[in-house]
Amino acid sequence: MSERSYKTDALVLYSRNLGEADRLITLLAWERGKITAVARGARKVKSKLAAGVDLFTYGQYQFHRGRTLDLITGQEVKEHFAAFREDATLYPYGLFLSEITDRLIRSEEPCPEPCALLLEGWRLLCDETLPDRMLLCRAFELKMMELAGFCPYLQGCLQCGTPEAFFFSPRQGGLFCSQCAGGDTIKLSAGTVALARRLLEAPLDQVRLLRGFDLQRRELAASAAAFRRYHLDIGELRSLQLLRSMNLLP
Amino acid sequence: MSFPEPLQKLIDEFCRFPGIGPKTAQRLSFFLLSRPREEAVSLAKAVIEAKDKLRFCSQCGCLTEKDPCRYCSDPRREQKLFCVVQEPRDVLRLEQTGHYRGLYHVLHGALSPLDGLGPEELRLPQLLERLSQKEAGELILATNPNVEGDATAAYIARLVKPLNVKVTRIAFGLPVGGDLEYADDLTLSRALEGRREM
Repeated sequence: MSERSYKTDALVLYSRNLGEADRLITLLAWERGKITAVARGARKVKSKLAAGVDLFTYGQYQFHRGRTLDLITGQEVKEHFAAFREDATLYPYGLFLSEITDRLIRSEEPCPEPCALLLEGWRLLCDETLPDRMLLCRAFELKMMELAGFCPYLQGCLQCGTPEAFFFSPRQGGLFCSQCAGGDTIKLSAGTVALARRLLEAPLDQVRLLRGFDLQRRELAASAAAFRRYHLDIGELRSLQLLRSMNLLP
Repeated sequence: MSFPEPLQKLIDEFCRFPGIGPKTAQRLSFFLLSRPREEAVSLAKAVIEAKDKLRFCSQCGCLTEKDPCRYCSDPRREQKLFCVVQEPRDVLRLEQTGHYRGLYHVLHGALSPLDGLGPEELRLPQLLERLSQKEAGELILATNPNVEGDATAAYIARLVKPLNVKVTRIAFGLPVGGDLEYADDLTLSRALEGRREM
């Protein structure tokens, strides 16, 4: 890590204006984890960095080590997810994936699995044949939590192990059966528990084969929000606020 | 190095400006001190006058001395043509081109929930009201060509669909004076999509 410049494949998680014409970029890099770097002059019309430092971009980036923040000195775009910018109803779902990843992955260690998962998530969301975008987001969230080491226990009762466990405890991070459940649990339907298990276990691209009823979607949303609030200290996600204001949530 | 207190105060005030670091702030302060007193007073007066007299137009949201602004109150401008921009300074930039003769609407931002900017923070209800009142013929979306600007444009296009207004987006393409060789893929593909007959 002592070299003055380095190069890595990365995904742009977050981009915001900095100073007169610069942008501050948060990237998730296969070999280096989360990187925050400055793209100098990226807001100028003729900037060679501008197109590669926008949100929802996958590319190869060159960095120069700075005293406080690294500088992006070059980029080669590998994949642009233009659908996120052209479809207003798709944009908040893409943001949801970025926001969850940004909140869960914090280290500067190599993170090939989260990178691959986010790339696959963006690709699947941009697929027009995907039947249920929110279900994909729920599966993505569970899988990213698992990779970050925060995944709730969904296989059975946390106390006695029985698979007939339909009470979710956000505080204890798992399911309980009716005998072992305490007062701080959320009652879930059997269908919701089965769906959550499938979302966690099935590969992300097979989420398109799953269907969720409104009740199951609402129960999943409530459980996920309570779990995030308790274990990750995350209030309502801003991307979810946008989805709600666009009437895209059940 | 410690400066006399009034000088340090001046440097600190300049440091608040975007793009001004301590060194530049020092240079500006010493320059100002080297000028006659009248110039310093004139600068101070200009700052206070701009702050006191300028406000946002209640109709379009651009910076103005009088409300409604000179664009909204000019009957010679096309009253059924609207151009949506993100910031008040974008209005001035478009006016400098001398090619636009319609009305403006400033959003004061773009959809960027991660920065705390949702649809509620933008001046969208005012836009819908103006479009309905003026029976608008065309709405030009001139938000920035980045993800937030594009998503905002797509959001507005969806929002105004029931009003049956023609919605257009400013063209994308190669900057004047640039080399094709250095253009990125997205700009080039958009330039090809937006080609025109000669």
